[in-house]
Amino acid sequence: MRVDIQSLGTYNRLAQEGAEHAAASLTQMTGIETYVDVTNVTLMSKQDVEDVFGGTEFVGVQIGLGGGLSGETALAFDQESAASIVDVLVPGASADDDGEFDEMAQSGINEIGNIMMGGFVDGWADYLGASVDMTPPNYVERAGTDVLPDGALDRAEEEHVFVFESQMTAVDQEIDAYIYMLPEYGAFADMLAASDDHDDAIPMDKLTVFDEMTRQGAQQAAGNVSSMTGIETDVDVSRLSFVPIEDVPNTARDEVYIGTVMEFKGTPGGYLAILFDEPSARTIVDATVPMELDEPLGEMGESAIEELGNIMTSGFIDGWANVLQTSIDHTPPELVHDMGTAILSPIAGRLGQSQEYAFLMDSTVVTPEGEFNCELYAIPDERKLKEALDSLLVERSDQLEADQESLF
Amino acid sequence: MPPKVLIVDDSDFMRNLLREILEENFEIVDEAENGVEAVELYREHDPDLVMMDIVMPIRDGIEATSEITGSDPDANVIMCTSVGQEEKMKNAVKAGADGYITKPFQKPNVLEAIDDVVA
Repeated sequence: MRVDIQSLGTYNRLAQEGAEHAAASLTQMTGIETYVDVTNVTLMSKQDVEDVFGGTEFVGVQIGLGGGLSGETALAFDQESAASIVDVLVPGASADDDGEFDEMAQSGINEIGNIMMGGFVDGWADYLGASVDMTPPNYVERAGTDVLPDGALDRAEEEHVFVFESQMTAVDQEIDAYIYMLPEYGAFADMLAASDDHDDAIPMDKLTVFDEMTRQGAQQAAGNVSSMTGIETDVDVSRLSFVPIEDVPNTARDEVYIGTVMEFKGTPGGYLAILFDEPSARTIVDATVPMELDEPLGEMGESAIEELGNIMTSGFIDGWANVLQTSIDHTPPELVHDMGTAILSPIAGRLGQSQEYAFLMDSTVVTPEGEFNCELYAIPDERKLKEALDSLLVERSDQLEADQESLF
Repeated sequence: MPPKVLIVDDSDFMRNLLREILEENFEIVDEAENGVEAVELYREHDPDLVMMDIVMPIRDGIEATSEITGSDPDANVIMCTSVGQEEKMKNAVKAGADGYITKPFQKPNVLEAIDDVVA
């Protein structure tokens, strides 16, 4: 199936506008001013979705969709955010010793979910020119992906599915809310399908294969970290999202990072940012530079971070090059030390001159005990990515390693 | 007399690491930060071996290797790089490289690769 990028962009915009309506409803009902942080469409397997949700305890509202748009949705709050909402919405409502809200609180959350999701789907119905039916809201308190309606991930057992995710944040309180929508795969695929002669179409099966190659690249990069530092690392989350280019910076956490940015040139071309939070950068430098350093990292420490960025980049992109039987050059690493959004903004600005949306591949490398966290953001140039996918031979997708011994 | 080695890498950190690995058994004649410096220092020191990075500013390691082996066909050059792309390796072979080590490396891998080339 070839997917029309413009259609995917249109549906992403509908989700963004829907989330803005939902956030406005939340603000109106609670007086808590909220805004939409980011809306993306992600292509995920069941395991990917489970990795993203983790074991977080959620308070949620499940609603099924039918009619012009069929699928499943959930509005989810973490426990603390839900408690803050309940405090405002149902003063005097209580939670028992296990944190379970009483009936009135549940009813309040259910209603807010109903109203927010109504706002979310209205724009879709208008665009599609068909009514979208909603099931009655179902209040749940569950962990991880169990907050999603039962059966929502059945299809993801066998193949990747589209997941729309909108994150809403309160302006001056620690409140986060998430809207997840999983459209029914077949119907949504039909909505996205492009004709064969469509220039601006991406082959979806190859995009899925490329996503898997990227995941393995992230594993290789994590392995390189372990080899260089002696610190055991693994890839926690790896996912491929489709986001408006102006939202790319908002996908980074609100945190200061030290790391490297590189431009990779070839097919595909684009940018790669490898970002460590400050304590992780310190951990790496302590593990690789056996000397006392000036604060914060010293020249040699910064050089170690640059070199690690260099080595991780190769781990990441070499597999693409070997499968595609091409070479991908990258610039020497540029050391960065700033807020995540400030680091990604110039990249989005450069790519934004020629594209409205980005396929963002982000991976998180962590240690088992969580003392180390590294975020990798690969943002290919859309045109170059399309060229790469067109030339990708799926049957070669396991040829990630170079045959060095035959050459030397 | 221990064999003379020229280290070429744009990273202070990596030059330091290679120096630590090699200085016990080799004479480190100099260090270069890019391909242009590498060619100049090769001419100046005529080393027995060059440990050459690929991705460097100003001039990359494959171009520098090509120029070194073009003027001295007996030059021994080992690419010492993070790049693990087959096409790059083929380019390195064409440029006259004798060996290829991918970072991150351990000391035994480096010494083994040097043995294969310089023995």
